Amino acid sequence: MSLLEVKNVSKIYGPLKALDQVSLKVENGEWVAIMGPSGSGKSTMMNIIGCMDKPSQGEVLLDGADIAKESNKALTAIRRDKIGLIFQQFHLVNYLTAVENVMVSQYYHSMPDEKEALEALERVGLKDRAKHLPSQLSGGEQQRVCIARALINHPEIVLADEPTGNLDEANEGIVLELFKQLHREGTTLIVVTHDPEVAEEAQRTIVLEHGRLVREIVNENFKED
Amino acid sequence: MFFRMLKGALFRQKSKMIMIAVTIALGASLATAMLNIMFDVGDKMNQELKTYGANITVVPKTSSVLNGLYEMDEAEETTASLKEEELGKIKTIFWAFNIVDFAPFVNTTASLNGAQVKLVGTWYNHHLALPTGEELDAGVTSLRSWWDIRDGKWIDEQNTDSDRVAMVGAALADRLGVKAGDTVTLQTANGSEALTVSGIFDAGGDEDEQIYTTLAAAQRLSGKQGQLDSIEVSALTTPDNELAVKAAKEGPASLTPREYETWYCTAYVSSICYQIQEVISDSVAAPVRQVADSEGNIMEKTELLMILITILSLLGSALGISNLVTASVMERSNEIGLMKAVGARDRQVTGLVLTEILITAIFGGAVGYFMGYGFAQIIGHTVFNSSIEMKPMVIPIVAVLIVIVTLIGSIPAIRMMQRLRPAEVLHGR
Repeated sequence: MSLLEVKNVSKIYGPLKALDQVSLKVENGEWVAIMGPSGSGKSTMMNIIGCMDKPSQGEVLLDGADIAKESNKALTAIRRDKIGLIFQQFHLVNYLTAVENVMVSQYYHSMPDEKEALEALERVGLKDRAKHLPSQLSGGEQQRVCIARALINHPEIVLADEPTGNLDEANEGIVLELFKQLHREGTTLIVVTHDPEVAEEAQRTIVLEHGRLVREIVNENFKED
Repeated sequence: MFFRMLKGALFRQKSKMIMIAVTIALGASLATAMLNIMFDVGDKMNQELKTYGANITVVPKTSSVLNGLYEMDEAEETTASLKEEELGKIKTIFWAFNIVDFAPFVNTTASLNGAQVKLVGTWYNHHLALPTGEELDAGVTSLRSWWDIRDGKWIDEQNTDSDRVAMVGAALADRLGVKAGDTVTLQTANGSEALTVSGIFDAGGDEDEQIYTTLAAAQRLSGKQGQLDSIEVSALTTPDNELAVKAAKEGPASLTPREYETWYCTAYVSSICYQIQEVISDSVAAPVRQVADSEGNIMEKTELLMILITILSLLGSALGISNLVTASVMERSNEIGLMKAVGARDRQVTGLVLTEILITAIFGGAVGYFMGYGFAQIIGHTVFNSSIEMKPMVIPIVAVLIVIVTLIGSIPAIRMMQRLRPAEVLHGR
């Protein structure tokens, strides 16, 4: 059984079909990129897979359970327990320090543990910046805090929406290196991007256009380190 | 973690929180000032209303009938009398607290330098120690506070050893050439007394032709030891309604037991009169209707005004809080969306934001209380020329009102928070 199975999912906003009969499967431990131009439905796809929105039609099976039929309360619990979210805009709480931002995720999941949060920051190379506020961190550092926050509860799937969209080349490299490391550790990664270079790092790329899945590319050069 | 988030929100968003605290402080200050004035206004108004004189007169039953039949002058000598020993009982009636002042009167006619003058004996600042343990100063010094003392001073019963003192009306003093410090000798059928003139007063009425002396001196000269001709009482009353009118016109016996209980336990002037009659034997207590009605109306309207100002100030605060908190939630929608995205339930997010606002409200409320204390003193000194006593009961009332106003003001923001979907704010969907 696939970890995630999307079956004929459509999302309709009035006259607009943001997603149109999209189907895809993601296996446990797989690294999948979702590509497409602006307005192709990438973010809508991420919202649905990330349990932040429900499809208008179709099924979304996560661990075999159809999340499209779940209540908002149940979706909150699934997000908390199974999904780690990484955003293009980082979305850190501006009045909390880096380590506190990581602990927020722990707090709403179970119990905050500062030692564990510091270890997560160490993993992304930011232990020495733990007591800094987001405004005192660079964009790359903020994104790494966001990654540490996404990983702290050991999610089944990490969903990243344009994770390198606001980063310079050096920081993009650092983030991609972190993703490779996560993949090696067996984390399932779904990365939404419009950057072909980022997509090339994934095992498989799904291409969306006008809400439809138009292509699926398997990366022949993908190396399992 | 909750407290770290709370601390971060409170201390790292100071300007927003200070704005909310200032709004609450303004509302709390007005509420504190108005509530304290409202609770203290009774005492303050007592002092003010005393200047209007007594609003109830108590006379012997027989005298009352004669007065009604022959329209006798109040100061006219009558043979019926009240008992001096029963005077203190006035402060033991159900509405004793509403009796703010009273004075007994004995009237007689005396001869002064061959001329007949009216002599009135009464209390000035007579100190009373009641059986209830209460102590008070009663008399005409406060009941006739509008008298203009042209020469000398009021009779001071507490600092004068002798009761052979008098105050002479301005017109009589002018006619007789009497001034403060002089001695006047009054002669009646019961003997003569040499009285030292303490002051010359201008009352603007019949009293200007009279001599006022102590109750004891007047009783000796009139031969009415232990007796009184009348008592004037200043009482705080509630304006009459249909029930009070019915009781006054048809008598308490016409009321049903339930009506009687309501009437008896309300400070209508008629029920206070009734209660005075119960403790002063063979007496008739009657309201000086205009004064009693006016006092009751003034009190009621003043309290209503205070309540309205308090409600309006709190309403203003609620609107201010509502705007500020809603604006704050809109500004923090990304943060709230993020919390929900990482698994926060609606009640957890609401709990965090509400706790922040309530802590800010408590801080603002405390500052507002002290500001209100200042406002109350300014109003007290401007309007009543005295300080407003701060009532401890206002603190819990203001605290509860602030919490209610803050919660009501936060309702739109709470609804907005609960409707907020992470996808809308984090990805613009």
